[in-house]
Amino acid sequence: MGDLLKEPLDIIIKSEISAEFSHHDPTIARINNGSFGCCPSTIIAAQQNHQLYFLEQPDNFYFNILKPSILKTRQIIKTLINADHVEEISIVDNATTAAAIVLQHTTWSFFSTLFQPGDAAIMLHYAYGAVKKSVQAYITRAGGHVIEVHLPFPLKSNSEIIVEFRKALQMGKANGRKIRLAVIDHITSMPSVIIPVKELVQMCRDEGVGRIFIDAAHAIGNVNIDVKDIGADFYTSNLHKWFFCPPSAAFLYCKMSDELSDLHHPVVSHEYGNGLAMESAWIGTRDYSPQLVVPEAMEFVSRFEGGIEGIMRRNHKKVVEMADMLAEAWGTELGTPPDMCSSMQWWECSLSGD
Amino acid sequence: MDPPAETEDPRAAANGENNHVSKKPKLSFITEPEIRQEFAHHKPGIARINNGSFGSCPASIIAAQKRWQLRFLQQPDDFFFNHLQRKILHSRTIVKDLINADHVDEVSIVDNATTAAAIVLQHVGWAFADGRFQKGDAVVMLHCAFQAVKKSIEAYVTRAGGSVIVVHLPFPVNSNEEIIAEFRKGLARGKANGKKVRLAIIDHITSMPCVVIPARELVKICREEGVERVFVDAAHAIGSIPVDVKEIGADFYVSNLHKWFFCPPSVAFLYCRKSPLSPDLHHPVVSHEYGNGLAIESAWIGTRDYSSQLVVPDVLEFINRFEGGLEGIRKRNHDAVVEMGEMLAKAWGTNLGSPPEMCPSMVMIGLPSRMGVLSDDDALKLRTHLRDHFGLEVPIHFQMPRDGEIRAADGDGCITGYARISHQVYNTLDDYVRLRDAINQLLSDGVACKMLQRE
Repeated sequence: MGDLLKEPLDIIIKSEISAEFSHHDPTIARINNGSFGCCPSTIIAAQQNHQLYFLEQPDNFYFNILKPSILKTRQIIKTLINADHVEEISIVDNATTAAAIVLQHTTWSFFSTLFQPGDAAIMLHYAYGAVKKSVQAYITRAGGHVIEVHLPFPLKSNSEIIVEFRKALQMGKANGRKIRLAVIDHITSMPSVIIPVKELVQMCRDEGVGRIFIDAAHAIGNVNIDVKDIGADFYTSNLHKWFFCPPSAAFLYCKMSDELSDLHHPVVSHEYGNGLAMESAWIGTRDYSPQLVVPEAMEFVSRFEGGIEGIMRRNHKKVVEMADMLAEAWGTELGTPPDMCSSMQWWECSLSGD
Repeated sequence: MDPPAETEDPRAAANGENNHVSKKPKLSFITEPEIRQEFAHHKPGIARINNGSFGSCPASIIAAQKRWQLRFLQQPDDFFFNHLQRKILHSRTIVKDLINADHVDEVSIVDNATTAAAIVLQHVGWAFADGRFQKGDAVVMLHCAFQAVKKSIEAYVTRAGGSVIVVHLPFPVNSNEEIIAEFRKGLARGKANGKKVRLAIIDHITSMPCVVIPARELVKICREEGVERVFVDAAHAIGSIPVDVKEIGADFYVSNLHKWFFCPPSVAFLYCRKSPLSPDLHHPVVSHEYGNGLAIESAWIGTRDYSSQLVVPDVLEFINRFEGGLEGIRKRNHDAVVEMGEMLAKAWGTNLGSPPEMCPSMVMIGLPSRMGVLSDDDALKLRTHLRDHFGLEVPIHFQMPRDGEIRAADGDGCITGYARISHQVYNTLDDYVRLRDAINQLLSDGVACKMLQRE
């Protein structure tokens, strides 16, 4: 990632950071970046420029500007997450959309009888609400069976997760049931925990799981991402949560394979059949500007000491510090040890209440 | 800055047909300089006669949209929990009244007609998979259906084992009767070997070539011929022709609000008629709202910018600044575009693609045969050349002569190329004069499409 970090002449200072986020409601203590993310004024301004380019001459924007701009975004993401080919990177609205893409692909496998009724998908009990519904809409409805892995919470270590997942996989495969898809969070949403995805992916491969989809909605800008190291087939993360993009943009990484040509965006345009990345880059007339400011987001993060890694490190340190402070003040506990927290933390509420 | 108040009667609008609702007393209508101001962000020097493709949005609506975007950025949780759903419901209520739907439940807000097509067609795909439809059951579409819709049919119908009946409509066309006759014939032919027709997709205004289709009559024919459901793709309709979904009688009806209804990119409504047999439609992007009805599902498909869906009340206010409201705008656009079309046809010695009563706020004008538009590629080359060398935005259509039938000709040969000109409130006479002169210039320079570079 070194070549993406410039040597800033001066690091952004506190007052500049305040200015960048001065549009945040000043009366609110905003400690929920995880839900909806945030966007600095510089990026908002860049986005408005892109919106204006479209409004001032949409035909020219469509024919000459849009595609190369999205390609630029995809190339930056490819480098950030250590993917091999830019064709593996599609830009979509959000992780919810990415889930629909991956899951609809599974539906077609049931329709075409490549998968049989009763074939299973496995996911965490703590999977995001939208993903659970998507699994219901695309897998259960198509005749698939769903296995939910219950993880304990609060958690003490990764091995608790690994043990539970292995148990669920093996039980799931009992009676020769085929597990066609695993949907695994990289960072669960509620409660928020970093999942040891590399280990779980390896386990899935060992146990003959067909495809693995990592829902990493919170990951980029929060934890390091190396999609080759993680080894999943599909990996999605939102750029508007922790990567300072405006609402909304996300990437969906799909490892190069024969099946890649068979993935489709559910909103079909004239680009149908030209590959998921091309399909996703035009799903009808819309405002694509949130997808076009990734270069500006990279510039923004490079103004911080240590770039995005520095930001991640400092956020993590701070949130653990604040959580420890609160836990001590309330006489409660952290939900997970610090090394399983990203830039978010949970603590157990006292049941005795005040 | 606060978003617009919700206390105004959502029926205080623009149809011109609702005379009994309260409107603020108009001291004066919007003036020419004010209109120019509203569209001052359009690139100067460009004759923008293609409102049909991407629409347009006045500065006051852009400003209203920015206020909504800021509201979300200021405090997204509060916006999500306390404001978003209410405001989308407000937009849906306004649309319901505009289009004469019975229930607000029938109106969902989606990104664009392309998304609406995916919703309806994905449902068809499921019906094939579930066994409710049998392999070989058919879907009907027009030969000139929008390319995204054709691909959606391929993706969800053909792929699921359905068959497709393609109905060719004549172009150039002289009357509704020609369309009705051809549609009846095409549908009957398609059903010839006893195919069950599950869905017909009919454009209300075809895109290229652009013609207003007698949708009501075609829906009736579909019912008579036992077509199970009818989906009207009316992407261009709202703001350019009257829309009364009950009168048209289709099961599904979609129109883009960002084309002719001054909304920012992008927003559309999908009307789904309520009936005991109403199919179970879903938005393909599934959120926690899954199962709560299409309108509610569509109102939350994950974190995104929904601001374009929230400015519909502001758009009504904007429209009301014009004499006659929406009806006045439609009529003046139509009259102006027909006048400009006739001016061009006369100057070039060519024809209009359809009679004025079958034109919305767009007209197809035959290009002189000497331009040599002989393929889709030629059409695109010419369009690019007009943009790059003459500062003109106008889409060009190649009309393949069918069965060797020559439907239009000028002194030099068959007319196979058409320009689709649009007229919206910001257009001026000069825009069309520039087009006239550009084509004449090319002709006098002896330039035909085959000589243009593929840039």
